[in-house]
Order: sequence, then structure tokens, then C-alpha cells
Amino acid sequence: MIYDIRHVTSYSYESPVSYSRCSLRLEPKSGDGQQLVSHTVDIRPKPADRTIRRDFFGTHTESIVIETSHRSLRIDSRSRVSVSRSVPARGEGSRAWEQVRDVAFESTSLGPESPIGYVFGSPLVPLQQPVTAYASQSFPKGAGILAGAVDLMHRIRTEFKYDSKATVISTPLREVFEKRHGVCQDFAHVMIAGLRGLGLPAAYVSGYLRTIPPPGRPRLQGADATHAWVSLWCGDGLGWIGFDPTNDILVENDHIVLAVGRDFSDVSPVDGIIVGSRKQKLAVAVDVMPVG
Amino acid sequence: MAGHDGQESGGAGSRAGTKVRPNNRRVAQWARDYVRLPGIPDEYIGQDGAPRAVWTRFFDAFASLSPSDIQRRFGSADRHLREAGVTYRAPGETADRLWPLSHLPLLIDEADWQQLTAGIVQRAQLLELVLSDLYGEGRLVTEGAIPAAAVAGSTEYLRAVCGVKPPGGRYLSIYAADVGRGPDGRWWVLGDRTQAPSGAGYALENRLVLSRAFTSLYKSMNVERVAPFFEAFRDSLRASADRDEPRIGLLTPGTFSETYFEHATLARYLGFLLVEGDDLAVSGDRVHIRTVAGLKRLDVLLRRVDSNSLDPLELDASSQLGVPGLIDVVRKNGVVVANMPGSGVMEAPALLGFLPSLSRRFLGEDLKMPHIATWWCGQKAAREEVLSRLDEFAIEGAYGRGVPGFGRGPLLAGELSASERERLKTAIADRGIDYVGQELVRLSTTPVWDNGRITPRPFVLRVFATATPDGWTLMPGGFCRIADQPDARAVSMGDGARAADVWVVSDKAVSTATLLPAVDTVRIRRIAGVVPSRAADNLFWLGRYLERAEATLRLLRALGMQRDAGKGSPTVLPALERVQRLLVTWGAVSQTSRAQPAKVVAEALQSEEKFGSALSLVRSAQRTATSLRERLSPDAWQVITEMSERLAQEVEDDDGVMIAAELTLQELASFAGLAQENMNRAAGWRFLEMGRRAERAINTVRFARQFAYDEAGGEDLDILLTLVDCQITYRSRYLVGPLLAPVRDLVVLDPYNPRSVAFQASALNEHIASLPTLKEGGLIERPQRLAVALQATLTTAEAASLDTKTLFALEQDLLSLADAIGSHYFPHGPNASRPEKLTGLA
Repeated sequence: MIYDIRHVTSYSYESPVSYSRCSLRLEPKSGDGQQLVSHTVDIRPKPADRTIRRDFFGTHTESIVIETSHRSLRIDSRSRVSVSRSVPARGEGSRAWEQVRDVAFESTSLGPESPIGYVFGSPLVPLQQPVTAYASQSFPKGAGILAGAVDLMHRIRTEFKYDSKATVISTPLREVFEKRHGVCQDFAHVMIAGLRGLGLPAAYVSGYLRTIPPPGRPRLQGADATHAWVSLWCGDGLGWIGFDPTNDILVENDHIVLAVGRDFSDVSPVDGIIVGSRKQKLAVAVDVMPVG
Repeated sequence: MAGHDGQESGGAGSRAGTKVRPNNRRVAQWARDYVRLPGIPDEYIGQDGAPRAVWTRFFDAFASLSPSDIQRRFGSADRHLREAGVTYRAPGETADRLWPLSHLPLLIDEADWQQLTAGIVQRAQLLELVLSDLYGEGRLVTEGAIPAAAVAGSTEYLRAVCGVKPPGGRYLSIYAADVGRGPDGRWWVLGDRTQAPSGAGYALENRLVLSRAFTSLYKSMNVERVAPFFEAFRDSLRASADRDEPRIGLLTPGTFSETYFEHATLARYLGFLLVEGDDLAVSGDRVHIRTVAGLKRLDVLLRRVDSNSLDPLELDASSQLGVPGLIDVVRKNGVVVANMPGSGVMEAPALLGFLPSLSRRFLGEDLKMPHIATWWCGQKAAREEVLSRLDEFAIEGAYGRGVPGFGRGPLLAGELSASERERLKTAIADRGIDYVGQELVRLSTTPVWDNGRITPRPFVLRVFATATPDGWTLMPGGFCRIADQPDARAVSMGDGARAADVWVVSDKAVSTATLLPAVDTVRIRRIAGVVPSRAADNLFWLGRYLERAEATLRLLRALGMQRDAGKGSPTVLPALERVQRLLVTWGAVSQTSRAQPAKVVAEALQSEEKFGSALSLVRSAQRTATSLRERLSPDAWQVITEMSERLAQEVEDDDGVMIAAELTLQELASFAGLAQENMNRAAGWRFLEMGRRAERAINTVRFARQFAYDEAGGEDLDILLTLVDCQITYRSRYLVGPLLAPVRDLVVLDPYNPRSVAFQASALNEHIASLPTLKEGGLIERPQRLAVALQATLTTAEAASLDTKTLFALEQDLLSLADAIGSHYFPHGPNASRPEKLTGLA
């Protein structure tokens, strides 16, 4: 499947902003069944400086600095990506989760692909006993890791309420968990916290969903914005598998990966600081069209 | 300086000499009463039961001081600490605590110190090598010398700097280790401090105080000086920069930091600029400091802010302590940060167990100094060992910061409830990577003074090393914390511990020692010639607060005096009414208090609630001064402290109020004198002056409006002359009683009267003219434009043509000028717009 993606981020400020410095993580990843075909970013006003590097996680990261006074900032990102993933069936057998955990703990790499980077708490995903206890119900002794993760994902989908008004970026995990509501980002964080509490390597993925579902299938939650889900390391054989707890599905060809990290703070598509305006308004528009 | 005593040998020595050799008897008595803790080694009494030579030497000399002399010297040490404002804050507290100094130093003889030095130097070398591998090639992990989990679990393992070469060439510029003496008589490392070790500044202060209180004792003991260490440290930072005269900043979290005092001390002592994140800005590929003369490049940043808080853009986004973009500058080799962000990863207890083999790998030798035996439970064999003998270990988080799931640490399994113990066991079995077991070591005790006796107390010693071009060098001495209880497992300054100076005592003959100055004198250096905007802003407000306090005191004094003198006189009453009204307008007293005139004066002086009372103003000044500690002399600081303490004291009657007001006015004058005589003109003195002048001009105009209004009578003018301290000048100039035009001329227009508005305006003009201009193009800048115009008005005005209306216009002009100074020179001060996070995306 090939997609054309348009991702427009617009900030408007109440008073002029004299300086902005931003990091953009807007170029979709290549690899793991996904191939970037083309990508452009248009920024208004024009930055004084643009530098590109790959961050620790291999994400294409662009730093921009704007030094002219501005009242709005518009970042227009267009990408063409081809996606072709093979995904195990929900019920497929897999290794016992304790074995996967023990292998992860013995890892001899600190690289971004190594499972060891994803078994500890991270800035937005602290490990908390109640969340771990919640997750452990899906992982009885000796259970297959795939079955356990599918069950946990299903429980989050059914027991948590999707509510785009309930949370903001800074809503702590504890509150999301206690009140059982939130958006894709919160569900991903809860699932990650539970898995990591058990010692299982879980990464946070930011990306997109196709806007119009294929004929006969329901429109997915989160399709008109940036989306987030979980990638779980299921042992050397299966490797990293995507779980979307917001929609209770395994990640296949409707998902386009932007970036992978430990939690939202590692992959935030547009992040930055401004000097000048206290009030800001943000609008994000995402359109994902299959082109063939 | 209080506390200094240069006449020790004459006084104490001769007095002690009149008795029949009482010294030996006293030392023997102390030794008899000194009961060592069972099974625990001691510094004073060796394993063989005999006192160690170095302590014997010390106590023999110490015993030559009479008991009252000892008390006096202890008192003077404490007084010095109080007056110098040496403070710390316990975690979670908001008030500063006075520094609790143990009056006896910890003594370490030379042989012992050499053993310690060799161990610490080797360890520092090793940690540097491990860090460069972890953030560089990463072979240690891929080859299995260090498990990946033991690194990845640390929040100090900074992925953002993986593969980045540290600017300046090294990860560690300063390294500290907490050490203690084990039962085998050797020194043991308890933990490594590689992030931003604290304590060196306190060590410096402890040395200063104790060497002053016991000058000749200190001299006679051949104590190694600590000053060369600080020189080496500064030189090392200086050499790490890529230009000749680098600008070095010490990055502090700010006045709320537990160890802010230390940051200020070190900045002043080392001659670094004390900066907060807001003072710095990234521009181009460099870090700059915001100064009153614009952005100035900063070459080296000695940080006392943890890595994760350094850059809200790349690291902890919620941090307000850092500089957005700093990590990117480090990546581009644009600034040296010491220690390199991410160095703190070596503090993780999980890594301790791997150091012995790493030492053999890198250095080809065994560790010279043992560290506390540590089992990281991420490895099966170690985990099973710990679980099988759980009660014999102290359980700690593998990456520091408490035991996961328990929120505290270290835990002694034997002291946990059965259910907690079970929970701990399960936790270790499930996620062993998060835990270490450490052997319980009984560390040695050292003597503390306790009401004329000495008693043994456990201690922890922090030693410091700095990297120089010729290798690592140690501070001879260190920061010693002594527990208040005989049984102490963790000694932290938070829970009732004392600090002690540490004397490394040389065996060498006195000759080498006498070549050196006997007392470690603080070598005052000139603060680098830039004034950060925030410091300038604070100085300006310090000047304003103090001047406003003076004006308030003059008002309330006038009220008090008139009340006493002219009780009930109908002509005086309206004038007094005006004074009261001013005090209400200035927020010194509440509207309702005006019904009880007797209370008004006391309230204006001492009210805790009213923001405009003399007490509140002095406290505001004190708060402002706190963030200027490195720029104020100890004397100046002391004056402010004394004022705020006095004003807070309860006074008995009306006389007491007047006396307190009088004394405070005198202290304000002495602060002004100190600033005039002692403050470096390059270090922001002008801004203090400008604040004072601007405030005085504004207050004087307000007084003139109230008491020299168009229909003002003799009583009004009389009060005005008192308020602006011009009674004598007026009387010497005019033989008649106060008349409107002459009074207005003297108070507002006379350029020779240091209390007049015109005098302040001309001083402001001079200061502004000598400040750097910020904008190019040759146009006169706004503060100067206003000041010149104001002075012109005052110079050309005639007393006869002044009226209430022109006075009001004058007041408005002065307020605009003060605002213009603020927005022109301190655009990045605390009141300025600070960088905001962009709202994130859902």
C-alpha cells in the first residue's frame, strides 16, 4: 500500500513571538515493512537556520530557528510512504513472556533496537505498581507473549474510555490510569507502563492511520490526527510487533510509522520553545490517502 | 572580621602555663572518657587501643587552651558562620538552616592520605575511561564487560549525547567519592559522585572558619592547604576552553537550591559568573550570557544542575533550570560543560561490581582502594546470592535514588515487616535489574566535642579530585559529615548531622608549613567584567528596596517625634495626617490602623503583613540580596541580615520602636557606605546606585508634593525638611523659618544638595552615560533621553514657578525613567518573558 500523507501543524500566537527554536520529527521511518518514497517540509515564516540529524533512535530530526518576529507558525509536511507488513494472527502461539523478559534483560547492546532500552521507566512512563498489577492479569505464568499482549490491548480498549477532552500532554499516567480515560497517547503509555512493569520491552510509536478505511471496515479512532501505539519486542524470532490499544488491532498496513522512542517525549513530531507569547493556539490536520 | 584571633599564643598559652601541667591530665581524662563503639574502628584510638600519633599531637595542643578559651573560640567560629550566612537547606524545607559545624576537625596523617590519594586518582582515571567507552565506541557493553541493563536503567544514561565527543576533551573535570574507613583499617569507597558533586565550597568555608578560630593550633599542625586544589580546578576549566581568556559560568538552579550558598561561595572564590538558566541563551552555535551590554559568549559552564534538567528542548521538557538548545551546542563543540552531561551514569550502584575487572582491562592493575561490596541483582548468580541471604544485605536501587517500589533506601530486610520483606523478595525476583545488595560495613568513628568531653561518632568523608593536564589532583581534606547518633547508616545533612573540617596533617618539619600562609585566605578575584542582566536587575531593586525602607523609616520617625513633641497642637495635626496617609498609600499601615496613632508607628516599622512596612521592605531587600550573594561582601550581607533580624524582634514600647527605627537608619547608612567604599565598580555597583538614586528621587518628589504643596504651611515644610534630612542646611542658609519657595528650591532643585531631586537626576545621568549602548546607529537611547531631559528641566526650573502640578509631572517623569532603565538594561531579567514550551501534539 502506498500513502500520500499531509500533516499540517499551525500555531497562532496572541502576541508577536520574537524567537522560536523547534525540533521536527516529521519524516516517516524506513524499515520494518515500510519505505519512505518522498518527503518535504515547508515552514512559514522561513527559519534562519535548519539543521538535520538523526537522533539516538534513528529518527530524522530537523532543528529550526526562527529569529524574525511572527504571530503564526505553519509547518506543512508531505510524505509518500509504501507499507507492506506481515503480521502474526492474534491467536498465534509464541514464547512464554518470562523467557522473553529474561532474554531482554541479558541484552548486550545499548542501541536503539535493543530491547533493554525499553524495559525501564522513562520520563512520561514511570513504572507504577497498580499499572503493573493490572497488566499482570493478562500474563498468567507461562502465557505466550503474543496472547498476553493481545489480551492486555483488548482490555485497555474495552475498559478505558476514549475522550479527547479528558487529558492533555501533561496529564500524568497515574491519573489516566485511575480515571480510565484518555486518548491514543494515554492508552499507549498505560500499556507500555504495564508491559515494562513486567519486564517486557515496550516502545512508543508515533505515526498516522489511513483516513478513509478500506470498504466494509469501520473508520478508525484517531485517523484525522497524529496517532500513537505500542511496539512490543516478542523475542528474537518475532521481533518488534505493533499493538494499537486505541483500536484493539495489531499494526499492519493501515499504520504509518513516524518515529519510535521510549515515550511521547522521545518522538514528539513538533517540539520547541518560543519567546514572546503567553497564549498560543494549536491546530493539527492530518490527511492520509492511499494512492495505490 | 569577627571571629579572627591573632593573639592566641599570648593569651591562652600563658594562662594555661600558670597551672601545673594540666594538659596531660586533661588529655588523659578525655581519652579515658572516650568509649569506642564495640566492634567499630575509630580514628582517634587505633586497633591496638593506643591513640594515633596525629591525634595525640592535636589533643596535646588543644589541651593547652583553657576550657573557657575553647568555648570562646567555638563561639567565635559559630558567630562567623552565622554572620557570613553559611547556610544549607534540608531537602523539602524552605528555610535556610545555619551550618552545623563540628568544632573538632577530622585528622588524617600523611601516610594514610597517600593511600587514599592513590586509590581515588586511579578510580577517577578508570571512570573517565569507562565513560568515554559507554558514550563512544560502546565496546564494554557489546563485549559483555558491562551488562547493557546496568547502564540503560540509569536516568543519567543520556541517549542525547551518545556519540558526542565531550567539548574540552573529557567527561569528568571534577570527581568526588564518599569514603569511610572499614574494619580492616583501609579506606573504602561508598559511592562515586560524577554528576555535579557538592561539598567542595562548604569544605572551603569550614576550613576558613576553623583555621581562624584556632590560628596557632592550625599553624602548629602542618595542615595541607586546600587553596592549590581550587587553583588547579580553575586552571583546568580554563584550559578546557578554546580561547585564551575564557568566560566561565557556574550554573545554579537558583536560590531555592539546597546548596545555593555553596554555589555563590564557589563562584566568588573561583571568579566565575554565577548564572541561572534564564541568564543564558543559545545563539548560533554558541551559548551566550545575557548582560547589560548585550549577549556575551560563554566558554565553559560548570554545572550544578543535573543533566536531565539542562535542556528542556532535548531532555526533561518540564525543566525551567536549563537552556533550550544547550545540548545541540555541546554536540557542535560550542561550549564546555563540566562535568559532561551524562557523566552521572557512573553513580549507579549497579556498575560498582564491574569496576574491578574494568580496572584490570583498562589499567592492567587491580583497584587500589576497595569499594563497598555490591551485588547487582540483574545477574542470576548475584540475585540468588542476595535472595538467599537477604538479611545480610542493605538493599538499594540499582541506579540510586531509592529502592524502586519502596520510595526510600537503603532497606535492611531484617528490619522490614514480614509482608514488606516478601514484597521485596518478589520484586527482586521479578525485576532484579532494579536492585543491588550491598554488604553492611561498619565504618569508623571520629571524636566530636560534647560539653567538655569527646565522644566517637560515625562519619562519611567526601573527597574531591580535579583533572589537570598532569593528571588528577586531590583536595587535601574534604567535606566530612558526622552523624549525631552513634548508630548511623546513612549520614546526610538533612537528618541532624554535623559537618567537620578535614585536616591532612603533614609529618614534615614546621619549616615547610611556615613558608605557606598559616591561614587559608580567600583569594578574592575580580568578577569578570560583564554584569548579567539578572544580577543588574537585582542590584537595581536592592537599591530601591533599601532606599524605600529608609524613606519609610523617616516617615514613621517623623510621626513618632511629632506625636511626642506637639501632642494635640492643631496646626501640627493636618501635617501628621498627611504622613499617615502616605504610610497608608505606601502599604506600610492599613487604613483601619489610622484610628490608633500609637499603633501606626509600630505597624509601619514591624508589620509582617503589610508589604510596605520597614520590615517587609528590608526582607525584600534581603531576598534580592540572596541571589546576589557572590557579589556582596560578607559585611554588606551581614548588615542586611542584622536589620531584618532587629526589625523582626518584638519591641516593648514606643521608645523601643523609635530606637529600632533609629538603629536601622544607621545600618542603612552603613550599607550605603560599604557599597560606596567596598564594591567593585565593574561588578554592577552602578545598578545598585541607580536603583537607590531613582527611588530617592521619586520619594523626594512625593514628599514635596505632600508637604510643599501650593498652600503648605510652616508645619508642613518643617516636616518635609526633616523627612529629607535638610533641616540643618536650610537653617544655615536662611535665617527665617521654612518658606515655600526656598524649601522647594532646596529639596527639589538645588544640585548641590545630595538629598535633592536634581542631585539624583544628575547622578542617574552620569551612570547612564557611562553604561554601554546596546543599539547601533548613534541614536540616543531611551533611558538617556529621559534622563537628559529631566536634568534639563530641573536645571532650568525656578523655585517660584514650581507648583503642585509641575511636581506631579516630575514624579511621572521619574517613574518613566525607572521603567525605561528596567526595560532597556534588564530585558531578560526575572520579569522578562521567558522561553515557553510550544504546546505539544496529541
